[in-house]
Amino acid sequence: MLYSLLLVFLLPALGIPFVYFGGKKSSKIAASIVALIAIINIALVLTTVPTILNSANHMYIEEYAWIPVLNSHFTLFVDGISVSIAIIAMVLIVAAALFSIKYMEGKKNLPVYYVLLSLLSVGLVGVFLTSNLLLFYFCWELMLLPAYFIIGSWGYRESYRAAFKFFIFTHAGAVFVLLGIGAIYMITGTTDLFAAQTALLSFPELAKWIIIALTAGFAVKMAIVPLHMWLPDAHSEAPATMSALLSGVIISAGAYAILRLSLGAVFPAVAGTEFGTSFLHGLAVFGVISAFFGAFIALVENDIKRIIAYSSIAHMGYVLFGLSLYPSEPLIGGALAITTAITGTVFHILTHAVSKGLLFLSAGAVMHQTELRDIREMGGLAGKMPFTSTSAIIAGLSIAGSPPFACFISEFLIFVGAFDIIRTNSFYLVPTILMLLATVFSLAYSLRFVYRIFIAPPKPGTTLDGNEKHKITDVPNSMKIAMLILIIFVVLLGVYPAFFINLINTVGFI
Amino acid sequence: MQLTDVSSWLVWILPLVSSVFVPLIAKFSAKARNYFVILIGAVTAFLAFTLIPAVASGAEGFINLTAPWIPGGITAGVFIDPLSVLFACLVSFFGLIIVIYSQGYMKGEANLTRYYFFMLLFIGSMIGLVISDNFLQMFIFWEMVGLCSYALISFWSNRPESVKSGNKVFLMTRIGDILLLAAIGILYASLGTFSFRETITLLPTLPTSTITTVAFLLFGGAIAKSAQLPLHTWLYSAMEAPTSVSALLHAATMVKAGIYLVARFILIAGPLVATLPLWLPSVAWVGVLTAFLGATMALYTTDIKGVLAYSTVSQLGFMMAALGSVSLAAAASLGWFASLFHMVSHAFFEGLGFLLAGGIIHALGTRDMRLMGGLRKAMPITFALAVIMIITTSGLPPFAAFFSKGLVIESLMETGTLLQVILLFAATALTFAYSLRFMKLTFLGNPSEHLKKLHVHEAPKIMLVPAGILAALCIVWGFIQPALGSFLHLEAETSLLGAFFNIETAVFAAILVPTALLIYATYFKNFSVMNAIRSDKNPVSKLLKHGYFFDDFYEKVTAKAVMVFSGGVQFVEDIGFEAFPQKFANGIVRLAGGVHKYLDTATDQFLNVVAGRTLGGASKVRTLDTLADKLLDLLAGKTLRSASKAAKATKAPRNSLQHYLAAAIIGFIMLVVLIIISIGV
Repeated sequence: MLYSLLLVFLLPALGIPFVYFGGKKSSKIAASIVALIAIINIALVLTTVPTILNSANHMYIEEYAWIPVLNSHFTLFVDGISVSIAIIAMVLIVAAALFSIKYMEGKKNLPVYYVLLSLLSVGLVGVFLTSNLLLFYFCWELMLLPAYFIIGSWGYRESYRAAFKFFIFTHAGAVFVLLGIGAIYMITGTTDLFAAQTALLSFPELAKWIIIALTAGFAVKMAIVPLHMWLPDAHSEAPATMSALLSGVIISAGAYAILRLSLGAVFPAVAGTEFGTSFLHGLAVFGVISAFFGAFIALVENDIKRIIAYSSIAHMGYVLFGLSLYPSEPLIGGALAITTAITGTVFHILTHAVSKGLLFLSAGAVMHQTELRDIREMGGLAGKMPFTSTSAIIAGLSIAGSPPFACFISEFLIFVGAFDIIRTNSFYLVPTILMLLATVFSLAYSLRFVYRIFIAPPKPGTTLDGNEKHKITDVPNSMKIAMLILIIFVVLLGVYPAFFINLINTVGFI
Repeated sequence: MQLTDVSSWLVWILPLVSSVFVPLIAKFSAKARNYFVILIGAVTAFLAFTLIPAVASGAEGFINLTAPWIPGGITAGVFIDPLSVLFACLVSFFGLIIVIYSQGYMKGEANLTRYYFFMLLFIGSMIGLVISDNFLQMFIFWEMVGLCSYALISFWSNRPESVKSGNKVFLMTRIGDILLLAAIGILYASLGTFSFRETITLLPTLPTSTITTVAFLLFGGAIAKSAQLPLHTWLYSAMEAPTSVSALLHAATMVKAGIYLVARFILIAGPLVATLPLWLPSVAWVGVLTAFLGATMALYTTDIKGVLAYSTVSQLGFMMAALGSVSLAAAASLGWFASLFHMVSHAFFEGLGFLLAGGIIHALGTRDMRLMGGLRKAMPITFALAVIMIITTSGLPPFAAFFSKGLVIESLMETGTLLQVILLFAATALTFAYSLRFMKLTFLGNPSEHLKKLHVHEAPKIMLVPAGILAALCIVWGFIQPALGSFLHLEAETSLLGAFFNIETAVFAAILVPTALLIYATYFKNFSVMNAIRSDKNPVSKLLKHGYFFDDFYEKVTAKAVMVFSGGVQFVEDIGFEAFPQKFANGIVRLAGGVHKYLDTATDQFLNVVAGRTLGGASKVRTLDTLADKLLDLLAGKTLRSASKAAKATKAPRNSLQHYLAAAIIGFIMLVVLIIISIGV
């Protein structure tokens, strides 16, 4: 459809006044508008799918004149990868908006909260919809500001401190990204991703520095150990809806950016060289470290949201490990090379988004109903909150990689890709074995999480052991609907992954 | 379209889909739910049995139906051959038996909807596991049966030990799962397919080293799932499950998944298995050792279900040992057949054992055998059935296990070493011993103090009928051997009559007598020598009581090590990563303070001096300025006064910062939109 991507970009922005003034009346209206816009956006993005599937280069591009001086066009583009992530991102926004209605009830300044939420969705979706580096950076930063204010103003405990940490860290990362993008522009004179890819091929020496700067910047967003320090604080102090978006989409945007920019645009220039190979190996090592680091801490952490936060670090380790399986040989033409491992990695971004989103919403529901956050004080909630516990168990099992839930398929594809590569590159043998081992730990912390909160009898003398101030019930319907949406996706992606995998594979399966 | 085309899909999809309807139907009435579950179980069993004719008459050996699933050439499908049909029939039949038994055993429990949901889910997944035509689909169901096992073990979720056991079982079997996952990943990476049919043709093209790696990894998966050494301890923990669940999952079906996997791999690899270095001997040795050690542990446990659990471990060892004895003409050789034959007879007698134990636990409310005794009078029917169970388990003729266990030992006599055969005979003798001990402690002798306080009654009919059916099967199953042999395309020659007259039976008979005497001396006459051996001070008995300390090692050493290490990582996080940015930021603040203190103050003073001079000059200009000022005041005063009136009329805005922010953002967005529209579109 003509202009559909432009509309996707503009609708949340144009809707902001309505959200604001609607929100003054009732936050229900504001939330509905945010959700409605996201649903319309999903429909709009879906209109590009036939073009992606059927056109020769499997892309859908809209181009508008923008900044003539910089030779920069307002290029909106989607291919199979970005369209999949954008759809899942908007699904999460729908769920977050619906969840907010009751979850945020009684908080101050709610109209502004919803305004920030729609503003966030502009940046969030915009990152995935453009092939113009400037516009990409613009959206990248646009994700940051609303997130900062949402964490700060509506978070728990020392929320502004956590938000500040988040801001400083990711902004420092963004500086590196800007540095990389600036260097690309200086060398090639273009801000278009595809033009830059071709032009960079003749600058292999400079490309080394660019790829390092870009990847370091994105790795901060991904919270790869040792650049992860902002994540546990930000995730645990943010309101649950924001944690779901943060963990589901925002940190995954870092992974997407590494794939699209570092590996897609810059890597061809260094592919086949010794540096290129060791770069990929480095990604694998950091991936393994993150996976183990996150899993180990999640195993001993006692704060309900910090457990999930560290599990996010672990899962970004999986994603980074998957990215490190990118084919290291120079490729002829094409934006990206998709192998089984890369398909799995992109699919893991999707499955992790819905599963982790669901887990955060469930944790938010628990905190909302019980006003507790230390899992040592919890227990036996399965009887009191059956829906929430079901959704938490489904999400936890998915995170642990148990079929028939979503994350299993994606992790499995990553491992198959890894075994495929081991045949030609024995370096990956040890990391792959370690990653397999890490799945045991992810099951361990998931089980501990579910057991302590929902099943174990509450410790004598704690609040839940008969000392509740008010009767603890399950969450209201609007929150249930939000969680149900994500449950459907977690199960659907696990049982029938064909739709998204088809889309991802159109990008250029080799 | 043939019936098989439909039933081979329906047989696993139907229970899977119906499981979702269980909670819905339960909303109307609990009775309707129970009937629905039985109905689905019966239909599933019927569908499974319709598969038999197609396979029995099939010239090709297997039927393979597929449907597209994941892009990239991965299809979902069913693979119908004698092996899968045998398993499917067993699972569906046993599922039906247990669902009926549950009506009595689980009567009055809360959360039965969850119970039946997972039961149907399990039946569907288990049939899906054995009927899948590719490794990926099989692995998914492999994990799903593990999931069901976890959910059903922790069914009594208000009992912490149940949930803890569930977690432990899930985690321990996960170790096997990742080995299996690695095997499947390597296979797919080297062959580009998950399909069994294509793997059969492509596997010989791989180097032996790859096939060996895959074979060992697959075997690792089987070890964990089928509770072989050294990962057998989970099966004992799984006894926290309701007994009906133990009968179905942990005796009859789920634990057989590992046997299925190895049997399936032997079929896929064909004669290749014999060329893999060390693989077959490893399978045989693990099996033999498990059979022997499992039987010794069954001698010492006081838990009535514990005896059955260790007995299952031991019997699974027999099956594994038989699989390890397959000869060069791998497909359907004697060992392979013996293993499957024994697999079914074990399902019958061990399942029967669990059903009876369930009745006893139901009546007595305890699992401790020391609190039982003399039950033969109170529960005569259970006692009669238990006698059949004991005879079958011990392998006495002419019941099922006599034939199947005989074949297992016979196959090992052909290809195995002498030590293996001796250990297997010893395990057989021990089986006899622990069976008799079980009988003595529960049914014979005088009632314990605990029992005298209770009014023990016979189990209800709905629990006895399923047990009766299994007992009947225990009696007749052995005679089906020729028919089963031709169904599984057994090439070796076996005869029913031959089972009675061979070396194996002679040796068996020869060791039975001394074993019986020993048992008699130990448990009935309480000889002081035997008591000394059994006393707690004896290191051997201590070793056996603790199950060779496997569990203590896993829990105390491994689990502790992981937790300590995790604590260490968290310490690093807190000290290093958490504190580092703070220190860094503090450093910068201190630096800024220093700059402020020294540099800034100096500059300030300098500026002050400069400013002082300038001011001096400026004051001279001021006198001129005052005049103009006064004029302006006069004008502005009036305006200000009217403005302040207006300000009072409107309400002052609250919550300033964020509203301004929102306004600014709105303005900014509008601006961007305007710019975009005006330039571009």
